[in-house]
Formats: sequence, structure tokens, C-alpha cells
Amino acid sequence: MAPWQDLFLALPLPEIWLRILLFVTFGLHLLFVLLMLGTAMLGFIYFLNDCCSGSRVEMGWNQRVVKSHLGLKSLAVVLGVGPLLIIQVIYSLGFFTATGLQAFTWLSVIPLLILAFLAIELFEHKMLSRPWLAFVSGALGLGALLTVPAIFTGALSLMERPGEWSGFAAKALAPGSVYRPHWLFRYLHVLGAAIVFGAAFHLFFTAGQDSEKRARLRAWLFGSVLFQVAVGVPLLFTVADVFNWPVLSAVTLGSAAAMAVAWTLRPAPVMTLSDGTIQGGRALLLLLPVIFVSMLAARQFLQDSTLMPLHRQARTALARESADLARFQQPALDAFRVKLATVYDNGPTLYEKSCQPCHGAGGLGDGPAARRLLVRAEDIAAVRADRDYVRQVLLAGWPGSGMPYFTVFDKDKIDALLDQLDASFTLFGPTTVPRREVGQQARDLWKNTCATCHGATGQPSPFGLTLRPAPPDLSRFSLQPERSLQIITEGYPGTVMQPYRDLPEETRRDLVAISSNLRR
Amino acid sequence: MIFPLIHVPALGDGMTIALNAVLHVLISHGVAIGMTILIVIFQNLGATGRGGFWEETARTLLKPVVIVTTSVGAVTGVGIWFITGILAPEGIGSLIHLFFWPWFIEWWAFTTEVVLLLIYYFLWDRLAQRRPRLLMALGWAYVAVALSSAVLISGILGFMLTPDGWPQGGTFSQAYFNPTFVPQFMLRISAGIVLGALLVLGWTAWRFKGAAHERGRVLRLTGLVMLAAMGSTALFAWIYFSRIPMTYLTHWKFSVATSAWSQVPNLLPALNTVAVACLALAAVAGLLKRRRTSMLLFLPALLLAVGMVAEFERVREFVRGPYLLPGYMYANQTRMVRQQAAMAQGRPLAPSMNWVNAATDNAPEAQLGRALFDANCGVCHTIGGINDITVRLQGRTLESVNALTSITESMVPFMTPFNGSEQERLIMSAYLYSLANKDTLPRPQLQGEVK
Repeated sequence: MAPWQDLFLALPLPEIWLRILLFVTFGLHLLFVLLMLGTAMLGFIYFLNDCCSGSRVEMGWNQRVVKSHLGLKSLAVVLGVGPLLIIQVIYSLGFFTATGLQAFTWLSVIPLLILAFLAIELFEHKMLSRPWLAFVSGALGLGALLTVPAIFTGALSLMERPGEWSGFAAKALAPGSVYRPHWLFRYLHVLGAAIVFGAAFHLFFTAGQDSEKRARLRAWLFGSVLFQVAVGVPLLFTVADVFNWPVLSAVTLGSAAAMAVAWTLRPAPVMTLSDGTIQGGRALLLLLPVIFVSMLAARQFLQDSTLMPLHRQARTALARESADLARFQQPALDAFRVKLATVYDNGPTLYEKSCQPCHGAGGLGDGPAARRLLVRAEDIAAVRADRDYVRQVLLAGWPGSGMPYFTVFDKDKIDALLDQLDASFTLFGPTTVPRREVGQQARDLWKNTCATCHGATGQPSPFGLTLRPAPPDLSRFSLQPERSLQIITEGYPGTVMQPYRDLPEETRRDLVAISSNLRR
Repeated sequence: MIFPLIHVPALGDGMTIALNAVLHVLISHGVAIGMTILIVIFQNLGATGRGGFWEETARTLLKPVVIVTTSVGAVTGVGIWFITGILAPEGIGSLIHLFFWPWFIEWWAFTTEVVLLLIYYFLWDRLAQRRPRLLMALGWAYVAVALSSAVLISGILGFMLTPDGWPQGGTFSQAYFNPTFVPQFMLRISAGIVLGALLVLGWTAWRFKGAAHERGRVLRLTGLVMLAAMGSTALFAWIYFSRIPMTYLTHWKFSVATSAWSQVPNLLPALNTVAVACLALAAVAGLLKRRRTSMLLFLPALLLAVGMVAEFERVREFVRGPYLLPGYMYANQTRMVRQQAAMAQGRPLAPSMNWVNAATDNAPEAQLGRALFDANCGVCHTIGGINDITVRLQGRTLESVNALTSITESMVPFMTPFNGSEQERLIMSAYLYSLANKDTLPRPQLQGEVK
């Protein structure tokens, strides 16, 4: 079996390395996502606060906070590609299924992010000059931005719950399902983490020496850490069924670090060290990464415990199917080679590929696909018609019959096909008109019977045009006498053209002559 | 492994991908590569004493470039992964397994590109005065990484049209270093510079705030760059298209003109000539410092350039016809071996479909018919939207629909063959026939008109 027999079986790295790589790349992505979300949320909250107090100085600082959003969001987006790539390789079954089941919600991430990013840029730009515009764009941008993690956590939560997939697909989620509470707490946990890391980021990078700013950010940091604990506990209950020791260890370590952060940030006594260092700064710099890594590890362990067995199972099934299909590889390659060598721009190929299946190699209407048709494919070899008329038929098809339209070929190709039809079957040659005196009986018959559908001059009558298939326009289309006689005698099966075999042969031959004379 | 099959109603899959992809290409090529190269050149001219206005122009242009690139450009780039993951999970999944490393390395290039652009932007004010040469170096480093990102992705894009020996040999290097790898990235980079120069030209003509002679110098340089890039674009486009298999290439007119316009074969060459002429005139107007002419030509030239980008991407996506990965997978995500097995042994498709939408009030046969349509035809045809199958089959009888679904691949060169058992094909045909004949009443046609 060639390695690419089934590309889904090819792994760029051993599974364990892919999982480690996912952990690192996802961690990088998530860090910037949290910083971006935190910055947007804090920026908007401070803006509302400063707007109410009417302080332009404060607003200037606030603008600096939001300014960092540009860089943070750029990195958040770009760093998301790596984990996306790896997830698609190692969790393909879960990932494509979960996102597929939530397809349109998942796709809405694209316009939501574009809207959010542009609106937040406007928010920052107009903060000092036009507060009302800043408010509108900030609210819009933040609203769009905060919808995105809800979609992501929704997709990931579904991905990790294969048991819920079919219920989700049937849109019949049971109210008792753990999916919705899990989703809600997970979403809130992401928002809480965004405030934790966003506040810490600005505490170190934007607040500078301003003790008041620092105090505000520390308060947000403290509050959001407590919020994380409050949301984390019910969140743990929602994943209790897949809990294992690695998860428990990671969660315990993370919670202990969170407690230590809360202790470091306890509100009283608030004081700032004289040398400008941040109170408890070193402890925060150590503890926050511990919390981040341990929570990320817990998440990854949980995900792997569900998805890896599933993924291995899928790979085994795939390998079995691929081994089964291996013998068809050579025929597939042969078919591909033939296809590449077939250039659909010349008459012979166009006829062979597009017309021959029904009309047959000799144009007799006896191609292999014609056996399926109730209305027989026409014997092209017996047709004599105007070029424009045949072009019209090719472009529009013949409703009520099997003849499809061929506007899939541009005009040059249609011309090549018409030339080919003429070369093979003298399609545009003159009509063979039998030399005979036509009797009055046949003339009357044409007028009273045939013209009902075919029209007196060969142009289908209004009634004839209601038929499916409608009769051909005999002023522009004719058949060789023998074929005409055959149709008049035996009818055209599948159409309303009935057999007239009871008429004397002379009369039928007269009718052939009449119809042959109609072509202008 | 069959994932949920999703098709976008009304708009269709192709149009959904195209809307996102064309927007991304315009920004990633025109703004992130083209405009930024000019900005770096302007900054260099300013830093080497050719006049402060060069730097001011560059600085003014940089802000919108950064905002648009990091907002719309980056998100639509990731968006392509989102969209293809939904619409063609088997296809994009296969490509990711084959091209994991180029994509992974490209991701680092992409990240470095964004980091450098941010540094370039945020440190500009500090470095422009004090260390202009460092700023120059930063700018060129950005350009180098942006170009390498384009190079890395071109191997994958080229593969999808010219897999060369890969279907037979199956090695990575055959796939990646395919015949259109080099011409395609050269074409994309050149065209990106044309587009970027055009944007700068329009901005300079309309919005430049400095003295008239300064604007004239900016116009002249931009026009020169644009003209040179146009020459290179033409050269590499010619090489690129000469390497595409003839069997694909002959469909280009239909791919752009669709059934509606495909009978007017000279329309597209004429339009393309007008577009090139308009772009060339805009470049020459810039070169000759003609502000008013540049102003007037900018908008039509931009619209025509956007049209040409869309045309190129459309042709590239469409002409590979029935294949998603030539020699391996059809456009409807059916692997060629799977289809061969279905044909040889009448293997049914339904048992391997994990996800069939059962939440409809259709009868079971119609549900299966719909699922088979989605799996086989839904990638190109919609029901009631773009390339509507009910319109395509209007007027055909049931047994002719049956006949047509048995010869799709032969009859129309860019259609895929049906994958499934004979019985399934008949079920699908009956479903499609019933769709196409909903509420149809026979009514008289106009005299002489063939419908």
C-alpha cells in the first residue's frame, strides 16, 4: 500500500509529538486571545466609566489600553492557525464533525471577527474626538468579539462529546443534557480568564507608575480570579464523568496557584512600593503562568481522554477500508491518465464523449445510454437540417426527451461539434426529396391530421408546441425519406406521434414527400 | 470517514469560498505585499535624503495597511480554513495531511510577518528620526518574510491544478515542486505589486497633501513600479498558463462566462484586453505625472483589476474540473478508488454516510435522494440558488434524468461521476426529477422558439 493510499492515514509526526505541539501552539494562541478579549472588555468598561466622569486625562490612558488591541488581536488570529492545523490532523473526526454540525454558526466567526476588529479600531480612534461614535462602535465591536468565544467553546464542547453528536444533528438536545451548562460555564471561564490576564498585562505594561491605575487593575485582577474559582467549580462538575488523575493534578495545581494569587492581591492594605515596583509583582509573574499552563493541561488531558480513543478507532477503520480499496488504485490512475489526455476542444472528442453515449458511434441513436430512454435518441445519420437550428437544439436541449442542453461548451466548441456532425453525417446537406407526384389524399391528410401538430408549413402549430417533446420544425429540419417513412409507419415511441401503418404505402410515401418538401 | 456534509443554500459552495478567497487575495497580495513594498521603498528614499515627503507618504499609508491587513486580510486567510473545513472536510483534511510541513512553516512565516509589520508600525515614530537605517532593515525583513509566505503557499496551490507525477509516484516533492510552483508565486507576487501600486497611485492622485512636484515624484515612481510589475505579471502568467494541462485550459471561457455568456467567446478576451489597457494607461499616467488622468483612471482600473483577480482565481479553481486533488479525489470529495470500487462492484454509498439529515418531513426515499445529491452534486449545484439543479433538469423526463446521471463525467468534462450503487443512482434521479417538475404545467411556447 503506497503511503498516500489514504491521505488521512499519513501523519506528519508521531501522535505524541503532535499532541505536545498542539499544547504549545494552542497555549500561545489562547494567551493572546485572552489578552485581546481582556483588553477589549477592560477598555470598554473604563471608557464607560471615564465617559461618565468626563475626564479627558483618564480617557487618554484608556486609549493607550485599547491601542494595544491591534497587536494583540493580530497575534491572536495568526497564532490560531498552528493549532487549527494540528487539530485537523489529530482530531479530524471530532473537529470536522463538530464544526460541520454547527456549520453556519462556525462560519459566522469570519464576519464577526472582521466586524469586531474594525469596530474596535474605530472605537479607539474616536474615543477622544467623538465619544458617541466610540460608544456605538465599541459596543458593537465588543458584542461581536464576545460572541466568537461562545462559538468556539460551543464547537469544542461538542467536539469533546461524541455522545451528543447525533442528538445535536437531530436538533433534539435533551434539557437534562450536560452540554449546555458545560458550554455556559466554559464560556464564562474564558471571559473570566480574559479579565485575569488582560488586567495583569496592563498592570505590567500600560499602567506605568500611576498608583490609581494599578489599584484599579489589581481590583479587576483580584475579582476575576475569585470569579474564576466560582465558575470553575461547577465547570468541573460538568466534566466529572471523564475525570482522571492527570486532570485532577493539573486542576489542583492551578487552583492552588489561583488561591495564592488571590492572597497576594487581597484588597487590604493597598500600598505602592516607593521604587515603582508592583506589589506582589514577582509572585504574579510566577503564579499566573502556572495557572495558565495547568488549566491548559487539564483541558488537553480531558480532550485527549475522549478524542484519542475515538480517533484511533476511526484510523483503524480507515486503514481497513483503504486496504480493501487498494486494488482499485491502478484502474483509478488509468482513468485519470485517460482524462488528462482528453482535450474537449475538438469535434471528434466532443461527439465521442458528449453525444455518442446516446446517439452511438454511427449516429444511429443506438448508444449504450440510449437504452434507458423512452424517447429514442434520433438517428443523426438520417437528419438533414439548418446549422442554426441544430445549434439551437444543442444549446437548449429538447424538453420532454433525453436531449440535454450543451451551453456547458462555449461557442467555439459548439462550432467544432457542428462541423464534426456535418463531416460525419452530412448533417447540413440538402434534403433528399423523393421525386413523385403527391396525391390529393395525402395532401388532405397532411392538412387535416399532420398539421394539427406539425403545422401547415412544417412549423409546429401552437398545439404542437404544448407537447413534450414538441415536434421538430420541419421547415428547418428534415429526415432522410426512409427514416421518415419508418416514423410515419411505426410512430415515434414515447411521443404522441402514433403509427399510421394502416394507411396505404403510397399515401405514406406521399406524406414523406410532403414533409421533405417543407424544408426551406 | 465521512463527515457531515454541508452545502450553502442559494449562494452555493463555490461562491461562498470565492467571496472570502478573492477578498483575501486582494488584501494579501495587493496590500500586504504590493502596497507594503512601495511603503518600504518610500521610507528608504526618505531615509537616504531624497526628501521628507517620501517618509510622510509612507507613514500615512502604513496605518490603513496595518489595520486592513491584520483585520480583514488575516481573518479571511483563516476564514478559508474555516469554510473549506465545513464544505470539504475530506478534501482539506487530505491536503493538510499531505502538506502539513509547508503549512506549518508557512504559519511561522505568517506569524513573523505580522510581528515584523507590527514592530515596523509601532516603532516607526521612534526609529524614523533616530535610526532610519534600522527601520529600513525592518521594512525589508518584512518584505522578505511576506514574499516567503507567498512562496510557501504556492506549492500547495499549484499542486491542485498540476500534480505532475504525484498521482503515480506519491512523493511529497513531486506534489510540492509541481510545474506551476515557480510561475505561480512569481505571478502572484508580480500581480500583487501591480495591485498595490495601483492603490498607491489612486491615493497619491486623490489624497496626497504635499506640494505638486512632490506628488509628481510619487506618481512617477509608483507608475514605473506598476508598469514593470505589469510586464513581469504578463510574462509569468504566460508561463503559468502554458504549464496547465490543455484538457483543463480549454474550459477557461466557460468557467468565467458560465452558461449565460459562454456563447460569446470573444467577450472575455476583449474584456481582459480593456482591463490590461486601462491598467497600463493608469501606470503611464502616473509615470508622466498626470494627476488628473490618474485620478480618472484609478477607479475603473481598480474595478477591472479586482475583476481580473476574481477571474484568475475562478479559472484556477474551476478548470481542474472534476478533481479536488487530481488523480486522487473528485471535486465532490469522493476518492477515485472509492468511485472505481462503486463502479466495478455496485458499492452503495449510503451505508458509509454517517450523517444524513433526517430532520426533514421528506419520505425516506426522498431523504436518501437528497443525501445522495448532497454527496454527489452539492459541491457545484444548489437547489433553488446558483447553478440550480432544478433549472438544469427542467424539461427532462424521468428516464432521461436517469440516463444523464449515468454519463455525467463523459457528457460534461468538469462533472464528477456518480458514486454509489445503481439503485441509489435511480433513487437520486427520481428525487431530482420530482424537484425539477414541481408545479410545472404544460403551456404553449412562442412560435418558432425551441425551448
